[in-house]
Amino acid sequence: MTFEEARDYLLQKARALGIEAEVLATHSRELTIQAHGGKVEEITQATQGGVGVRVVAAGKTGYAYTEECTPEALDWVLQEAHENALLQSETGGFLPSGGALGQHDLLGEGLSAPLEQKRQKALALESGLRADPRVKQVQMTRYSESETQATLGSTRGVSGAFRNGYALLLTSAIMAEGQSLKQGYEFDLSKEFHALEPGRTAQAFLQKTGRLLGARPLKTGRYKAYFEPKAFAQLLGMMGWFLLSAKNVLEGKSLLAGKIGQKVASEIFTLIDDPTLPGGLASRPFDTEGTPAKRTVFIEQGVLRTFAHNSETARKMGAENTGHAARSYKGVLGVAPTNLFVQPGQGVKQDNGIILSDLMGLHAGANPISGEFSLQALGLWVEGGEVAYPVENFTVAGNFLELLANITALGTELEWNPMMGIVGSPMVEVAELSFAGA
Amino acid sequence: MLDQALVGEVLQKARAGGADFAELYVERWRRRALRVLSGEVKEATSGIEYGAGLRLFYGTEVVYAYTNDLSPESLLELTETLVKLKGSAGQVDERGRGGLDFRKAVAQGLHAPEIPFTARDKRYRLERIREAEAGAMVGPQIKQVQSNLMEWEQEVLVANSEGTWAEDRRVRTRLYVTAIAQDESGMQTGVVGPGLSVGLELFDRYPPAEVGRRAGLQALTNLRAKPAPAGTMPVVIGSGFGGVIFHEALGHLLETTSVAKKASVLSDKLGEKVASDCVTYIDDGTTPHGWGSQEFDDEGRPTERTVLIENGVLKSYMVDRLGSLLTGYRPTGSGRRQDYTFAPTSRMRNTFIAPGNTPKEKLFEGIEYGLYAADMGGGQVRPGSGEYNFAVKEGYIIRHGRLEEPVRGAMLVGKGPESIKRIVAVSDDLEMGPGMCGSLSGSLPVEVGQPHLLISEIVVGGQA
Repeated sequence: MTFEEARDYLLQKARALGIEAEVLATHSRELTIQAHGGKVEEITQATQGGVGVRVVAAGKTGYAYTEECTPEALDWVLQEAHENALLQSETGGFLPSGGALGQHDLLGEGLSAPLEQKRQKALALESGLRADPRVKQVQMTRYSESETQATLGSTRGVSGAFRNGYALLLTSAIMAEGQSLKQGYEFDLSKEFHALEPGRTAQAFLQKTGRLLGARPLKTGRYKAYFEPKAFAQLLGMMGWFLLSAKNVLEGKSLLAGKIGQKVASEIFTLIDDPTLPGGLASRPFDTEGTPAKRTVFIEQGVLRTFAHNSETARKMGAENTGHAARSYKGVLGVAPTNLFVQPGQGVKQDNGIILSDLMGLHAGANPISGEFSLQALGLWVEGGEVAYPVENFTVAGNFLELLANITALGTELEWNPMMGIVGSPMVEVAELSFAGA
Repeated sequence: MLDQALVGEVLQKARAGGADFAELYVERWRRRALRVLSGEVKEATSGIEYGAGLRLFYGTEVVYAYTNDLSPESLLELTETLVKLKGSAGQVDERGRGGLDFRKAVAQGLHAPEIPFTARDKRYRLERIREAEAGAMVGPQIKQVQSNLMEWEQEVLVANSEGTWAEDRRVRTRLYVTAIAQDESGMQTGVVGPGLSVGLELFDRYPPAEVGRRAGLQALTNLRAKPAPAGTMPVVIGSGFGGVIFHEALGHLLETTSVAKKASVLSDKLGEKVASDCVTYIDDGTTPHGWGSQEFDDEGRPTERTVLIENGVLKSYMVDRLGSLLTGYRPTGSGRRQDYTFAPTSRMRNTFIAPGNTPKEKLFEGIEYGLYAADMGGGQVRPGSGEYNFAVKEGYIIRHGRLEEPVRGAMLVGKGPESIKRIVAVSDDLEMGPGMCGSLSGSLPVEVGQPHLLISEIVVGGQA
């Protein structure tokens, strides 16, 4: 049976058993074309789908999912979800009620170009890189696209569906000059195939990675830091979101717990999530519980206004539901951002310090519970307002909340980075951070 | 898992369409996950994942498709689409004629669990998790304990047009305990997460109370730890998960995925000295019940024990089918993938530095000022430039050869296999630890391991 039929089968069975159930079914299509050495090296075409169920029985919540849509598998899913619910110690579980949310298409004809044009984009990106003699190896060049159709239904009346997708150009390559070697990457993302320009992405790679060649060690010390937009988005996606999640607040893991209404960042810092952003890569009409999308200001001129909620966290904290429920068919209910961004500022004037162009080791070196981070970084040494030379083999360390408080200037333009959701940031200047090197 | 005639039909259809080689990979997973926070079951979930991946080679060009509709119509249609994608549909090649003579290889159950996945008593699981929590309460500063129990069973079939037919069943279980300690100074964590290719007997090998206790003690240590110093210094790295340094700084550079494209600084270096004499580095897929062990790799080839570096000299790379075609190196049973949504690439299994002969205590002697990285977190590498990093989860200052105050937040960074050459002594106390490794073919269970060892100098990132 299809995933939609599986959804209906599960809802019907749940009703018959007297269990409240919410079913999320998604079906996605993916195409990836990988170029190497002037040829298409690998093509992947895929379809994948699954159906996940959240049930509430005796006031407790349980989950299960399947990609195999046979009646036996679906029966197993309902039975396991029910059993999992009964295992829970927490009562007060519920499913939000709702209505018909409609069918939405947020992708349209964006990815409808012929296959041949897609192959050409991947090949053109690679040849664009190879035009520069400093490019020693192009490790990977890829065009890929993905579209997803998500359908939501519940025994409490929620029903709705939407379709979304994007196209991506991505490359990773090695540049060399003398003894100096640098491996970098570059990408561009769009909902419109025709908006991707291989030449522009190749130039961006050459500029960003090329400027790091001939890097010198950095002397250990405390310096002013200029985070490039994508680098700051990396840190924000990893640590900022963790702190804003009401789920983490409720579980006592967020350093921002109890700080609503207080100053938690520099007063020039405003942080917004907007799922209604026209053309936003992570825009959506409603969240995975069926709560309609709306814009949320989390931090306004340094003051914490709200955490990110789903219906469960909002109810427990007596707060307004911000509509950030997130769940894949395999997962459990959580909260996730959509288009999360730092509001741009008046501009950054570089004098002395370090431009951080890329951070590495985030999954191990950034601890969102303690707020502390110590990360490998790549960057440029700035002296008297000029870039003096690139630096390498160093780390940048600090405390994320102290960093937010010490932001002294913000750039004027946003760049987006797909982290969890899509994170946007301008250039961010931080008064001082700790750097370790030679 | 699939009818042999259907598998044969798919593979032959692909060959008839001009592919040199066709491989069908089919799998079914059953998973369970339990997250318990401070005595309360927060999340309980179960799932079935089911799908197939079809890979065709045209020379060294690869087309791959996956789906979780495994009906005969869908699989045959998928094959058709894939052949068309390559643009050579309709060609009839004589290789496509005649029957396929599958050589069936069924796993012997070398890593089979004592307690099967279907043992369904969830209360039993919960009781053992509560023991872990109780174990973690080593001081009043421990405010929270989170335990995750993850179990899965994966049935796999790999069949290819050369007649390979390999079936395997893999069961893995992991308990992951995070203790959170808090006082006026802030919040710190301790993490311990044993995992093996076993069922719930994991609890016998790693008593939950002890796992919890170690997590609790580490959180307390980090709470009283000062921020790590910054600079270049000698570092002693602890046994077990300490081996993540070699996983990042050396292991990834020896996978044909980057070696074949000369995108590794260790490409074309067989027979050359790449590490100091005291380093022997092995990747072993056969360790009984190892977290990264399996009888067959995900290309249907038996896994093996591969000596990568012997006394500092590079002896072998880790080679998958495509890597072998591209480089001519012998395949090492290293083709692995997260699941059917990924085509396989060369990946590590259980990778470790072999024991040396320096007593552990000797490593610390003569260090005026340095760092003891007792336990490590994860790390990352860019194989092309060799730049790598890894985080220290539990660290202490070494002063005048003695262990002194704990420090937290240290990150070790390096470039190229330089640090490997700076290993000056290896102890005799090999231990292994489980981890998840993310790369081109997804996130995979791997073990990393090593004895205690001394690196003469490395950049330690901390507070300047």
